[in-house]
Amino acid sequence: MVRYAERHPILTAIWVLAAAVLLWAIFAPWPAGLEDVMGRKKIFLNALFNGVTLGALYFLVASGFTLIFGLMKNVNLAHGSLYMLGGYIGYETANATGWWLLSFVAAFLVVAVLGILLQVVVFRRMEGQDLKQTLVTIGISIVIADLMLWIWGGDFYTILTPSWLTGPVELPLITGVSRRTGEFIYLKYPIVRLVILVAAIAIGIAMWLALNRTRIGMLVRAGVDDRDMLSATGVRIQRVFILVFAFGAGLAGIAGVIGGTFQSVAPGEDLRFLLASLVVVIVGGMGSIPGAALGALLIGLAEQFGSVYAPTYAVVLTFLIMVLVLAFRPQGLIAAGR
Amino acid sequence: MAVTDEREAFQSPWWDVSRIPLHLFVVGVVLLIIPLIANDFIVRQIFSYAFILGTIALSLMFLAGYGNMVSLVQMTVAGVAAYMTAIFGTSAIDTISLGWPWWVAVPLAIIVATIFGTLSGALAVRTEGIYTIMITLAIAAAMFYLVRQNYTLFNGFSGLNQVNAPVFWGVNWRDPAPFYYLSLLIAALAYGLVRYVSRAPFGLALQGVRDNARRMAALGFNVTAHRIAAYAFASFIAGTAGVLLVWLNGQVSPGTIAVGPAIDILIIAVVGGISHPIGPFLGAILYVLLRTFALDVLVSLGLSGERFQLLIGLGFLAVVFFSSDGLLGLWSRFRERARRDPVTGERREE
Amino acid sequence: MAETVASRLSATGTANALELRGVSRFFGALAALQDITMTVAPGERRAVLGSNGAGKTTLFNCITGDFPPTAGSIRLFGEDVTEFPPYERIRRGLRRTYQISLLFTGLSVEDNVYLACRGVSRGRFSLLRPRRDDALVTTARDLIEAVHLTPARETLVANLSYGQQRQLEIALALAGAPRFILFDEPAAGLSPTERRELIEILTSLPDHIGYMIIEHDMDVALRVAEKVTMMHNGKIFKEGLPQEIEEDEEVQQLYLGGGHGGH
Repeated sequence: MVRYAERHPILTAIWVLAAAVLLWAIFAPWPAGLEDVMGRKKIFLNALFNGVTLGALYFLVASGFTLIFGLMKNVNLAHGSLYMLGGYIGYETANATGWWLLSFVAAFLVVAVLGILLQVVVFRRMEGQDLKQTLVTIGISIVIADLMLWIWGGDFYTILTPSWLTGPVELPLITGVSRRTGEFIYLKYPIVRLVILVAAIAIGIAMWLALNRTRIGMLVRAGVDDRDMLSATGVRIQRVFILVFAFGAGLAGIAGVIGGTFQSVAPGEDLRFLLASLVVVIVGGMGSIPGAALGALLIGLAEQFGSVYAPTYAVVLTFLIMVLVLAFRPQGLIAAGR
Repeated sequence: MAVTDEREAFQSPWWDVSRIPLHLFVVGVVLLIIPLIANDFIVRQIFSYAFILGTIALSLMFLAGYGNMVSLVQMTVAGVAAYMTAIFGTSAIDTISLGWPWWVAVPLAIIVATIFGTLSGALAVRTEGIYTIMITLAIAAAMFYLVRQNYTLFNGFSGLNQVNAPVFWGVNWRDPAPFYYLSLLIAALAYGLVRYVSRAPFGLALQGVRDNARRMAALGFNVTAHRIAAYAFASFIAGTAGVLLVWLNGQVSPGTIAVGPAIDILIIAVVGGISHPIGPFLGAILYVLLRTFALDVLVSLGLSGERFQLLIGLGFLAVVFFSSDGLLGLWSRFRERARRDPVTGERREE
Repeated sequence: MAETVASRLSATGTANALELRGVSRFFGALAALQDITMTVAPGERRAVLGSNGAGKTTLFNCITGDFPPTAGSIRLFGEDVTEFPPYERIRRGLRRTYQISLLFTGLSVEDNVYLACRGVSRGRFSLLRPRRDDALVTTARDLIEAVHLTPARETLVANLSYGQQRQLEIALALAGAPRFILFDEPAAGLSPTERRELIEILTSLPDHIGYMIIEHDMDVALRVAEKVTMMHNGKIFKEGLPQEIEEDEEVQQLYLGGGHGGH
């Protein structure tokens, strides 16, 4: 970091300044002049928090996608369907048992098993045929989407948050000053979203540790860098593939439960999250977990700020980020390996 | 993925009718007399529709079959042309439509669509191979959300309606038969153009890029420029078909360029076969027939007609699994088998 | 012929066909090439020897621009091409063949050679089919004849034999107006007869065409080259006339002693 500062003094100054402005904007009460330009501070803070939590959700979906892609070069266009299936499974479990946490386990297991089936029954047979695999995932996503429509219909399902997580929590962040009493007003934010944010960060860190500190993680990373080399060393690469596919799919399942709690599960969500994963992975860098985190954060923030400050062009903003990245850094912001 | 050789083109002039093989001649005659024997619904909703979808899928076949670039943006390019036809020409939303005559609006629409497709291609070719499908899918989706959210130019969710084919040369091109011949003509021209260009330096070089991009660069070709040019060429074809599409439907809305239709175009091309330009048209006919009559079949099987997507998905999976090149692949396999001695013919497809 | 080329070159102020200055190429921490400096005169035929992993093919890739060098500069006929994309170098008269056949398997032999001719001429984007009397079609057919592939002219490359594919590689390198060709192990895997034919093709190239050839077979290399560069571990180890290299004790120890069967 010191070396970076030495090499790019001006750029570093800009970064530090930007970070300081952001911190000030988050923690200090806003003067009236700024509120006139930007709207109320509460809106800004809410957009920021919603953006970050949405980014956390996108990260969970996209990290599974990018892991599978990085290792197997399989563009799994059925990933959105896996996400949505996780949502439905989570809803059913929570509904039947009334146990929110159990729905995560159930969704992870069911979707992971589906992932294993896909890898063993379908993709293993067409290894190295990128295009064929991708076409098959398109077919599978169409079939799964229609089966889910058949079972669950076109209704919106929302997974109920358990009582110990409902309601807002007051954060030590000032949104404004009360006109009546002159006291500071603090930001109230749904506690469940914060818990999910923390959980996503924890999963992200755990995944990073698993990839960097365990033997199986080393194998996966080696496979991302050079698959042929890995199979040449005599590792049973099929097992690694199955494991990664199961884990990546399971993550999508968990994300489905979170999405179902946060927002809702309904037809069309599969596509939305598939696209979010695509854009996140293109922006962040294909096959890279830190890339997925950065991309997810960027896209989540862009979507939320876009929908608050420029509602008609929110999508365009997301898309613009993708275009800029493709134009100047086609390998993504954080490229994997190599 | 061998491209059928067409060396005959060198041997005799193109206007020599006797050069047309018999089966092509028969197909041509049948296609020409269809409006005389079929009812309006079949002429419009089956054949004209299939020609248009086939032409859009043809543009994908050109990119995928000759250039190994599986673009999901072709339907969007057609949709852009459709929107532009409505915006430059006439529609019910006269606050948006400029009302220019068709001979201004249509070329402009095709130009805009071609530019859009070329720019999309320029983005997609920044990375290689399977990434193309991801990037073009993202572009298609972004465009869909844009037209749905934007009311000033695209009239948002409801889109633009009452976009009619023009009347000129004393013919009302909206009528089923004239419109049928118009779409047949465009489809045939596009088909011929793709076949012709596949043997021209541009097409050959594209196939060279497909087989081995690095080697093409080592022969003096600018691979990136070639790929982008291929997108421009394909977008021109897709854009032309898009104009017909808006005339056929009389309207264009975000649903026209949603991700579903974009993937349908891919399905049509893959099911038909992407090694030869006839494949997309076969796929389109099959798709339109299924789409039209699957309801009856499903209901008679005791399923709800909504299960159409399931049928399409399973059918698509079956084709991808069992044939490397869609209907064309099945056909050539069938011919191989028929030609070979059933006892000694041991050599199998690689 | 040689004089006219020399006079033309001196008129344009060009001294060398190829000039490398301090060229290095790293793959991560691995140095595949380290500080290579060498010059090749126009029309000169140079052999590059060295064991596997000595950096020979990497050197070729840097010269053609397949991989840009990490450091250093490359001049082609006096022009600095270090930053040029491969196709720009090819259009300036550089050609190469590949160790593993990189051909267009979905196209016929004639289309392959036609593409090679088209790549260095105008009309690369032409939407018009070539006429039957198109000059490039004729040139392509002559080239096919020159490498003895006329009987297989219409065959898809995927269906050619290994030896035929190697011959086609050479035809592609000769297309257009090459001034300097890089041959990457053209003799690998050839039968003795095919080898003799190859030597004949190489030695009968017009005088103005220089080349650089990677060859494991010392006998072939010494017969087709006027000068030899020995590489070892990404560096130039020795440079000299064939006899000098052959008689050099260090070379014998390093190369002829152990490295011959390491394929």
